Amino acid sequence: MVRTRGLTKRFGATLAVDRLDLDVAPGSVFGFLGPNGAGKTTTIRLLLGLQRPSEGTAEIFGLDCTRAREQIHRHVGYLPGDFAVYPHLTGAQYLAFLTALRGGVAPGAVEGLVDRFELDVTRHLGTLSRGNRQKVGLVQAFMHEPELLVLDEPTSGLDPLMQQRFRELVAAARDRGATVLLSSHVLGEVEEIADTVGILRAGRLVIVENLEQLKEHARRHVEITFAREVPTENLRRVVGVHELVVTGRTARLVVAGSMDELFRVAAPAGVENVVASEASLEEILLGYYSEPNR
Amino acid sequence: MKLSSIFAKSLFDQRRSFAGWSLGVGLLVIVMAAMWPSVRDMPGLDTFVQNYPAALRKLFNLETFRTGSGYLNTELFSLMVPALFLVFGIGHGARLLAGEEEDRTLDVLLSTRCSRRRVLLEKAAGLVVVVIGLGLVLTVVTLIMGLVLGMGMTVGEVVRGGLAMAALGIEFGLVALAVGAARGRRAVAIAVATALAIAGYVLYVLGQLIHAVEPWRGISPFVQALDRGPIRPSWSAGPAVMILCGVVALAISIPVFERRDIGS
Repeated sequence: MVRTRGLTKRFGATLAVDRLDLDVAPGSVFGFLGPNGAGKTTTIRLLLGLQRPSEGTAEIFGLDCTRAREQIHRHVGYLPGDFAVYPHLTGAQYLAFLTALRGGVAPGAVEGLVDRFELDVTRHLGTLSRGNRQKVGLVQAFMHEPELLVLDEPTSGLDPLMQQRFRELVAAARDRGATVLLSSHVLGEVEEIADTVGILRAGRLVIVENLEQLKEHARRHVEITFAREVPTENLRRVVGVHELVVTGRTARLVVAGSMDELFRVAAPAGVENVVASEASLEEILLGYYSEPNR
Repeated sequence: MKLSSIFAKSLFDQRRSFAGWSLGVGLLVIVMAAMWPSVRDMPGLDTFVQNYPAALRKLFNLETFRTGSGYLNTELFSLMVPALFLVFGIGHGARLLAGEEEDRTLDVLLSTRCSRRRVLLEKAAGLVVVVIGLGLVLTVVTLIMGLVLGMGMTVGEVVRGGLAMAALGIEFGLVALAVGAARGRRAVAIAVATALAIAGYVLYVLGQLIHAVEPWRGISPFVQALDRGPIRPSWSAGPAVMILCGVVALAISIPVFERRDIGS
């Protein structure tokens, strides 16, 4: 569906995308992850034909992303990162305008999406909050039921309920056979919906894995407060535990993969409180490169 | 208004600005024309005009200052109105595409099935239509004032005057649009189009004053628009040449726009 080979983009001396070989299978949801500035947006803009590769090729539906730009666009829904709107148009005017330009929007499709996101389309876009503007962006990307959805940071600005609605929408798109490529800088945003995850760092695709594999490596910061003394030695022996620091009755540690064994060891010592947070992408990447130091 | 195309939307986007400019241009014509009867009846006007340097007399068409068309040519159509049409054309031309790229709304537009060529051409059409609209306002108000005050101008003369002004706005508006399409920066589009307009005006003026420059005068759009007065008894090729130059600039920018990286 999406295929790049040796895709490279330079801006002057800056290498934004570096020999990228990306494959997104038809009917899959591909989570395109990377820290800010890793080259996700540039890659997406190359795929949309908004920019031209310095070297290498990018294809969608087997068509060249630059030469067959318009042909590809008929079947693509695109949400740019930092989605910008015309402030003087109402939501309804904007969506009607894009409906006319895009063509192929089924009657009622826009209304259905507007209802799903509880969007007020009578208001001028300039008066909308960032989250509501983002909803307009999602509606215009999904409204013509495209075969491929390219969504750059789609959930930014959305509240948790709307994020859930968005995930349902992506699942529905996949169920009708569409392919989805969505970017994010946090794993948590894509792990519920993506089949495959690719991680970009400094313009290079460093990891492509299905989500199960990635989760095995996923690292979490865990802070456990014990009722009694911290079973330090037992915790240290748990597979996947790194960076154990004990202060008083609280143990701070990083655990990779499943937390099953950790809790089995911790429970007998009387767990009073647990705080767990997801590791940043950089830490996940680190987990791939460094040997566990136990 | 239904926004069924980029052309329709470009008209919609310019509607407020167009209304304001129409009001301004209309009022200007009314005020300046209203002063004509008192100027016409000024004793010693001919001596006053004869005291001006010959070059200025030619530059501002002072020889015919006492007639209605001569007065309007001097007071309005030689400097003030051309300048207004330039600002209007260049401002809108620069905003239509480069402005949209800077605002980052162009990304979604270019992700539809519309080709970049079509986006550019529809915006150009929107620009041409509003400048012609402003030219129409100018023409109609001038005609009405001419009739009311008995300025003795034919419809053809006034239409030719309005056309010359519109052609000036179209030419430099298209240049600004083209530069904006090629470079993606509104400030660059305004700067290049304005610099070209100033260069054209300097050439027009120097051609009157310096003999050696005179053979080159003809390439100045201001000569094409203003020479011997825009409100004139006969047709000239000037407006056609001006519009053609704008179209050529636009045509050159199409392949550049098609190949360029957007928003980088």
